[in-house]
Amino acid sequence: MPFLRHGSYRIRYELDGPADTPAYVLVNGLTQYSELWGSYRDALIARGFRVATFDLLGQGISDKPALFINQDDHVAVLHRLIGELGDGPIFLSGISFGGLIALRYAIEHGARLSGLVPMSCFAELSPQLLLIGNALRTGLILGGTGYLQDLLLPMNLSDQWLKPLLDNLDSVKRQGWLVNDVYALQNLMESFLDFTPLTPLLSAIATPTMILNGEFDFLTPRALHETLRVEIPNSALVIIPRAYHAFTLEKAALTADLLARFAEDVMAGRWQGNKQVLIAPEDAGGEFSPFPAGYDHLRAIPVQRTAT
Amino acid sequence: MSAFFGPLEADGRVPPRQQTRAAAFLISAHGALARQFALALPARFDAAWQAELNAQFYRESEIVSLLMRATAWVPDLALSHMTVSWEMAWLPAPVDGIADHPLAQAIQLSTLAHAVHAGIRPAALLPTEANASDPFVMALRRIEFESGRQLQAQILFLKGPDLLPFRDAVSAALERRHAEVRRLWRETLESIGIVSCE
Repeated sequence: MPFLRHGSYRIRYELDGPADTPAYVLVNGLTQYSELWGSYRDALIARGFRVATFDLLGQGISDKPALFINQDDHVAVLHRLIGELGDGPIFLSGISFGGLIALRYAIEHGARLSGLVPMSCFAELSPQLLLIGNALRTGLILGGTGYLQDLLLPMNLSDQWLKPLLDNLDSVKRQGWLVNDVYALQNLMESFLDFTPLTPLLSAIATPTMILNGEFDFLTPRALHETLRVEIPNSALVIIPRAYHAFTLEKAALTADLLARFAEDVMAGRWQGNKQVLIAPEDAGGEFSPFPAGYDHLRAIPVQRTAT
Repeated sequence: MSAFFGPLEADGRVPPRQQTRAAAFLISAHGALARQFALALPARFDAAWQAELNAQFYRESEIVSLLMRATAWVPDLALSHMTVSWEMAWLPAPVDGIADHPLAQAIQLSTLAHAVHAGIRPAALLPTEANASDPFVMALRRIEFESGRQLQAQILFLKGPDLLPFRDAVSAALERRHAEVRRLWRETLESIGIVSCE
C-alpha cells in the first residue's frame, strides 16, 4: 500500500493502469474511502486510462490529524499526487466535498489539468446547505458515525437502491463506520468553519469542465451547480436522471462512462462546453439530450424560462 | 492475526483472555482519566465549564465500573508489568511552550482524554458475528459511543479561543499523546492476536 508524505502525515493512495496513458484522479466525498472507486478503476482502465485514488487527510487509511485539518492541506496533497503522474493528460474529478477540493485545485493549478468533473458539488454554502451541514455535524457529535450514515443514506440515495438493502443496512454502513473516526470526520466538517466562497474565483478555471448533478440531489441542489455553470467559462452542466447526491455509488457504470466520454471528447478536440445544459442518458453508452429549449432547468416543474 | 476479536466462542462471546487484557487496558486508561478529573474538581464550582468536568469524572468512573462487571476475567500474569507501563504513560506530561502552569495542566489532561476518547475504538474490534446480548460486547459499544460524546468537551477546549495563541504547542502535545496511546493500545491488541489496521 503506497503512501505520500505531507509534512509529518502519510496519505494512502493507489495508482492503477498503464503509466503512459491519460490519468483520471478521483477525489472522495466526506464519508468515503478510496475502495469505493473500485468499479471506476476497472471501467476507466478498460477505456485506456490510468486511475489515481486516495484517502483524504483524515479519512480511511490516511493519517488523521488530531485537531485541525485545513482545506489547503487537501489541495497540497492532491498537487503532490498529481505530481506523481508524469506529464500526460490529467483529468480530475471529485464528488461533494471532494468536488470542492477539485475546484480549488483547478483554481490554483488549472494549467496542469486537461479536464475537470465536479460532481454533486458547490462553490458556496447556501443557507440550506450551511444549516444542513451544521445539523449533520451535530448528528455526528451526538450519535456518532453510524447516525451520520443513517442521515446521509436516505438523503443521498434513491428508494430503488435502498429498498433491497433495507434488511442489511448495517453491513452497507460497516466499512465506512470502521475506517472513519468521529473526531476525524468532525475535523473535516469543521474545516468549513472559516470557508470562503469560491464563486468569485471560478472564472479563473479555463480547463474544460463537465458539471454532474443528480436530478433529485437534495443536499446540493441544482442552484449550487448553476453557480459553477455560469462562472466557469468552458463548462457544461449535465443532469443525471433519477439520481441523488451520491449517484457515483448508485450509478457507477453510467458515471464512469460519462467520465471516459468527457475525457475522450476533450482529447479528440470534440468537447464544447458553451455553458450548455444537458440531460445524461439513463444508461451507459446512451445519448445526451439538450435540456428543452425555453424551459427553466432550475425548476422541478416545466416552467418556461423568463426572458432576461 | 486478525483485525478483530476472535475466534469467537460458540455462543458469539469474545474469548475471556482477550476480554481480560482489553478490559484491563481500558480500565487503566479510563481509570487514570477518572482520577485526574477527580483531582481537578473543585469542591465548589465558580465556572460553568466545571459542570462538564463533573460529568466527565462520573462517566469515566461509569466506564470502569461497567468493565469490572461486564468482563469475563481470567488470570493473566502479563498484566502486572503491562499495567505498570500503562500507568506510567498516563502520568501528567509537560506541555512545551506554555509557561502558565494551571493552563498547561488543563491542556495535558485534555490531550490525554482526547487521545483516549478519539484514538481507542474498542467496538470497532468486534466482528459482525459477536453476540450483541453479551455484556462485554454491549460494554465496548457503550464505551465507544460515550467516548465520542465525551470527546466533544476536549475538542471545544483544545480548539477554543483561549488556546488560539498556543495552537502549535497544543497540536504538538496532542499528536504526541495520540501516538503514545495508540502505540500502547496497538501493542496490547497485538499481544492477544489482533493486528491494527492503522
